[in-house]
Amino acid sequence: MSAAGPDTEQRAARRAGLRVAVLLAPALLVVVGLFGTGLGLGLLQSLGYQPYLPGWSWTTDAYTGLLDDRAVRASFVLTLRMSVLATAGSAVLALGIAMLVHSTRRGRRLLTAVLQVGLPVPHLVGALAMSLMLSQSGLLSRLAYAAGLTSSPADFPALTQDRFGWAVLAEYLWKETPFVTIVALTALARGVAPLQDVAATLGARPWQRFRHVVLPLVAPAVGAASVVVLAFTFGSYEVPAVLGRPYPAPLAVVAYQRFTDTDLAVRPQAVAIGVVLAVAVTALVAVYLRLLDRLGTAR
Amino acid sequence: MPVRLLRTTWSVAALLLLGACSTGSTVPATSSASVPARWADVLAEAKGQTVNWYMWGGDEGLNRYVDGWVSREAAKVGVTVRQVKIADTVDAVNKILGERQAGRTSDGSVDLVWVNGENFATGRQADLWACGWPSRLPNARYVDLADPAIANDFGRPVEDCEAAWNTTTSALVYDSAKVSAADVGSLAAFEQWVRAHPGRFTYPAPPDFTGSMVVRTFAYDEAGGYQGLQGSFDQTRYDGLAPRLWSRLTALGPSLWRGGDTYPASQEAVAKLFADAEIDAYFTYGVGGLGTQVAQGRLPATTRSAVFSGGSIGNANFLAIPKNSPHQAAAMVLADLLQSPAAQYEKKVNPPGYDPAIDTTKAGDFAARFAAIPVPAAELPTTVLAEAAVPEMQASWVTRLEKDWVSEVQQR
Repeated sequence: MSAAGPDTEQRAARRAGLRVAVLLAPALLVVVGLFGTGLGLGLLQSLGYQPYLPGWSWTTDAYTGLLDDRAVRASFVLTLRMSVLATAGSAVLALGIAMLVHSTRRGRRLLTAVLQVGLPVPHLVGALAMSLMLSQSGLLSRLAYAAGLTSSPADFPALTQDRFGWAVLAEYLWKETPFVTIVALTALARGVAPLQDVAATLGARPWQRFRHVVLPLVAPAVGAASVVVLAFTFGSYEVPAVLGRPYPAPLAVVAYQRFTDTDLAVRPQAVAIGVVLAVAVTALVAVYLRLLDRLGTAR
Repeated sequence: MPVRLLRTTWSVAALLLLGACSTGSTVPATSSASVPARWADVLAEAKGQTVNWYMWGGDEGLNRYVDGWVSREAAKVGVTVRQVKIADTVDAVNKILGERQAGRTSDGSVDLVWVNGENFATGRQADLWACGWPSRLPNARYVDLADPAIANDFGRPVEDCEAAWNTTTSALVYDSAKVSAADVGSLAAFEQWVRAHPGRFTYPAPPDFTGSMVVRTFAYDEAGGYQGLQGSFDQTRYDGLAPRLWSRLTALGPSLWRGGDTYPASQEAVAKLFADAEIDAYFTYGVGGLGTQVAQGRLPATTRSAVFSGGSIGNANFLAIPKNSPHQAAAMVLADLLQSPAAQYEKKVNPPGYDPAIDTTKAGDFAARFAAIPVPAAELPTTVLAEAAVPEMQASWVTRLEKDWVSEVQQR
């Protein structure tokens, strides 16, 4: 913490803060208005608020029902596993790629451009591409057949609609790694080289330079990007819908199944799953930020 | 093309059931736009109106037909067709319901809906549909209104509240290079083939519309015919059947694609598995269009289809006009046009595969043209399909079977 500055400085800071708040107000209003209202309505619906149903009543049944729901319990484990793997995997891969790209003098610009190619591609397109490539009748399977490695589609390992979710994970990594890499590169570009040089002259070995100079510098940026990845993959629908199984399925998929269920009484459950999803993401983000904070400050 | 209209959302039905029990909280819908009694006056009133036709928009061929042939013909009588593509028919029903609740009893935004099954039943319970008009259509003379398949919609009497548009019969599509005709003679024979060839058959997980039909096909077989599962849901009859059905389907699991470890999420996924030669047979609603796909090289030339001797589940799908439609006259004119032999013929030929709702033998000049439509080797003649068709069971049975399949088969 820095010591309090002189009076004028404080006033200027306050004025600047006010200006920022005013400028942000329209955007905040939209975010809070749209998302806040949606979330609020969702909360009400999950508690039984169904004005179109005569005789509705307030109840927490939708939540208590989730506890002994086989599909939801399986879903929670699956969702957590997939999003944590995707987040950690993309962070590690991105860090490695960023270090590599950063260390190459020539072609850095080209590599950075290549990394950006996939960014505007929607996840749905990525998922379909993965399906065309990795399914048992996909491109890889056909190549394996042509090479004489397999004699039928079923001989090729099941990577889509499989128990583990390889194709889902592959899509997440393919899409998110470049995103995190770009963020890491931006962080690295901010004068990490002189610091590394200094560390080297002071006798720091490569691992030490990485651990104590590079990592603390990029950790906040990579961490922020990873939070986005975690939040996204935890609530992702289209990727597991295309590449995953109908059961067990991630929370977003189960929520949609319940929302379109034949029985209207099930709808509060769908919304309750949505609320649980929102709470879980918030909690995960908090834990993740905490971890990163420790990683960034540990010297 | 398979007609996937139902994509059941019984939710709305539940809503209405509850609504019916409540004391007068629902406003009775009144048919505000009264349609003239004389057809000539209906035609006159329809002139210049636009029909907002809400329909499942998942079939490109059918969309082209609506956008092209139908729109051109409708324009000749001064009616503009505005096709509103929806992912699920329940969206349209929910919209009409919502407008009703908001008090829009005369200027609704939906004029015509492609509907059947539970969505129709839901609308009936809520008194959403305009009735008494289908029998008035001049082209209704080509429709056999007394035919049980046309007079009932998933076990519910139509009662002149919707006009028949298509018929469809379920069938088994198979690759005759891998499966012999004897193997598809009956469900039992086919089951035996599946056991002998593990991994080469599967069905989409209910509540998928087609997956649900496959389970019903087994249910009819297990019950010794469709007769035992007609009428409203009966717990005793269900209890007598369910354990045998679930153990039969569970036992079949290891012989299915991926060893029954998982099921495809949609019928589209199943059709793709067949096209990719990952499986050798699958069930579908409506075999029309298979011939085209074979001709295009998307399916093997040895693709064939079969209906079982015990019967294949068939249904009709319809056109309904909401009571709050402001363009009822134009909607009727459009429905009449769609029931005309010319339109039914066009729909059977291009886009291929939509079986007529009219009695083609009564279709005048078109009777011969219908009879002359070539049947590709992959498909079955309409007459064979119509003969094999057995009725659907009522929604209450369907819901229960879908729910229990999930807990008894999928989650085992």
